[in-house]
Amino acid sequence: MTKMPEAIVIESFTYRYPDGTPALSDITLSIEHGQKVALIGPNGAGKSTLLLVMAGFVKGSGRVLVDGLEINSRNLKKIRTCLGSCLENPDDQLFMPTLFDDVAFGPLNMGLPAEQVRARVADALQTVGLGQMSDKAPHHLSAGQKRAAAVATILAMSPKIITLDEPDGSLDPRNRDNLMRLLGSLPQTLVIATCNMNFAAALADRAVLLDKGRIIADGAAEEIMSDAKLMAAHGLEIAAKK
Amino acid sequence: MHHAYIDKFAYQDSAIHRLDSRVKFLVVLVFTAVVISLPRTSLSILVCYAIGPFAVLVWAGIPVRFAFKQILLVSPFVLVLALSCPLYDRTPVAVSFGPFLWRITTGWMRCFTILAKFVVTMLALIALVSTTRFNNLLAGLQRLGLPRLLIVQLGFLYRYIFVLIDRAHHIVRARAGRKLRNLGFKTELRTAASMLGSLFIRSIDTAEHISIAMQARGFDGSWRTLWALHTHQSDWLFVLGAACYISGLYIFIKPILQ
Repeated sequence: MTKMPEAIVIESFTYRYPDGTPALSDITLSIEHGQKVALIGPNGAGKSTLLLVMAGFVKGSGRVLVDGLEINSRNLKKIRTCLGSCLENPDDQLFMPTLFDDVAFGPLNMGLPAEQVRARVADALQTVGLGQMSDKAPHHLSAGQKRAAAVATILAMSPKIITLDEPDGSLDPRNRDNLMRLLGSLPQTLVIATCNMNFAAALADRAVLLDKGRIIADGAAEEIMSDAKLMAAHGLEIAAKK
Repeated sequence: MHHAYIDKFAYQDSAIHRLDSRVKFLVVLVFTAVVISLPRTSLSILVCYAIGPFAVLVWAGIPVRFAFKQILLVSPFVLVLALSCPLYDRTPVAVSFGPFLWRITTGWMRCFTILAKFVVTMLALIALVSTTRFNNLLAGLQRLGLPRLLIVQLGFLYRYIFVLIDRAHHIVRARAGRKLRNLGFKTELRTAASMLGSLFIRSIDTAEHISIAMQARGFDGSWRTLWALHTHQSDWLFVLGAACYISGLYIFIKPILQ
């Protein structure tokens, strides 16, 4: 029986910003399918850059494999069908004139037939609770709705892996709880970059602590996020009990 | 923040709203071309041409006050052009309206005609934009054969103009919160330049993020949409009515009024 490839494998990856500032140093990380991983760390730790590395937007030295495929120009289309990236600012994610067009953008680029695209859009919007809003323009949505819509744009592509950059940013507690429930119900592999330890603790079973572009700790989410000394040393707070 | 500057009434429902966007666009295009081509001595026929878009606005439930506010917003550019006419063209001319007769210059005549044409064509344009959702308008333009790149650009413009307005508001508010005294013209100008610079840099940043979001969802340079449009009997009736109105005024009423 052939072994299922791991969702993400990063081996000795190093990247510097164009001005020479080190962004990621010697990152080695492996994420299995179905895992919910929180990338935690202070601002500027390299969390967002690491998510961009996983999606093939940042090239450095080292090897990156997504679902067994090495990131290179030949595999990029397959990789982006398999890994969906949700950016930090939903206004960047929602660029089409209506919600329907935005959610349909990915499936259409996958070459799916029109009927299948319509079905996927309807399903994705229903899942995030925006089923009745497909005709709305993104600028008519609230912050919470925009965030949910951004997740729908990814869900419509049915990726195996979803990366989310600060998904809880600027959300009120009710919208944050709604988003947590939604993300918690997804069967996909999740990689979530966040500074919010409670949000991370509620969703993730594994935590990877990054600081100054290096992996400081990697292990069970509850264990890492309850280590007051470790958290304080890296400018973070401990998570409240689940 | 909820914005409704441009498409405030486009989400309403009326017989005009339900018309095919291609039909509305083509009618407005022909109407505008005819109005612009009218000679400068045709002020009275322009009044007749104004009735059409005015009636459409009323029928579609668009407040006329809103339309005139929009016209006022863009009027400074045309005002400068129109008001400069009397300065360089001072040939006297006699104008009659029924039993009344008075003398003005051709410059003033030209000025009034430019302003009247501007108001009439703007009314038509506002009627189009206020009764058509922007995505339907884009779909119509795409079907009419406009280059895809232009459609994409227009789509982005519509989507991000609101984000830019929002950011500009935030920057202006941040400045107002810390501006406790009159800073003088030079400092104000320097501050305004910095604010514009900041807006520009953030726009570039946004553009980079949008590019990432598009590529992450498989964008390869080809623009694919599921925009569907269908014409109905009402669309053809509208075209027929508009054609009769535009050509009828031109062929039968214009010679009488000139």
